Amino acid sequence: MQISAMQISVMAVAAAEEGGHDPTSLVSPVMFHIGPIPVTAHIVSAWVVMAILVGLSILATRNMQMVPRGLQNVFEVLIGGLLDLIDQTAGPKGRQFAPVVMTAFLFILFSNWIGTFPFFGDVPALHSPNSNLNVTAAMAIFVFVLVQFYALRTLGLLGYLMEFVIPNPLHVLTELARPVSLSLRLFGNIFAGGVLVHTMLGIAPFVTFVFLGLELFVGAVQALIFTMLTLVFLSIAVTGHGHDAHDEAHAEAHH
Amino acid sequence: MEHWAAALAIGLGAIGPGLGIGYGVGKAMEAIGRNPDVSGTILAPMLIGLGFAEAIAIYALVIAFILPK
Repeated sequence: MQISAMQISVMAVAAAEEGGHDPTSLVSPVMFHIGPIPVTAHIVSAWVVMAILVGLSILATRNMQMVPRGLQNVFEVLIGGLLDLIDQTAGPKGRQFAPVVMTAFLFILFSNWIGTFPFFGDVPALHSPNSNLNVTAAMAIFVFVLVQFYALRTLGLLGYLMEFVIPNPLHVLTELARPVSLSLRLFGNIFAGGVLVHTMLGIAPFVTFVFLGLELFVGAVQALIFTMLTLVFLSIAVTGHGHDAHDEAHAEAHH
Repeated sequence: MEHWAAALAIGLGAIGPGLGIGYGVGKAMEAIGRNPDVSGTILAPMLIGLGFAEAIAIYALVIAFILPK
């Protein structure tokens, strides 16, 4: 018998034979079809995350009061903290992006955390949506299009096109590298986290909870990084040229 | 030989980001040590910078995952 595969894939195959979905597989299993369109497990888990978020939001805002209690209180603390962070990172121009940035944050956070529930690893439909490159790439491409739209609106068509020539011709590369690095960073972290937990289950089952805790932390940090980078890219896009931002900062400092 | 390629991809690819993350966190700790009041302000930019450095290691990791199959 030939010993060829890496330790990690040996264990993954062993676990897959036991009935669970192989977390080292890059391909999402197809759950069912809607007409000719195959619906994969990661789409279903994204729907689950959306359902959780929508349900929590409805529950939190159903009976709003001046003095918040319970779930409304939790959400107010969360939204307040995120708004503070947006003000801190992007200044006064950040508030217009608060809805999209905070939605992305909550979706990514809940997506990352749903994959860390111990018993959910055996259910393909409850794997983290972010452990599939298609989901993260979709979000990164959406951010890319949004950034280009705001840059075009701020600079005008001529200024937007000149941006690609005047400071340095490599500007187009930095623009194209953004969605690649955004999507691969989130996907790589969450996917590698799943593989790590899975491998640890094979080597040392009783210390796996340490790595689950680590995954909770990594999930929160990655959600924060994705949304903060989105916010920074968007605020750069609406700021226009560098000296304008400096002038505004000076003007504000003098007031 | 394929698994050697994967091992080298992540092993060599982790050197640079490791140095970068160590340097970045070291500088942030230095700044907090000099002025402990700004630790909250430093945290978010530091995490964003770490995300950039870490992305390089993640590229190597993705390559390492897709190589042996």
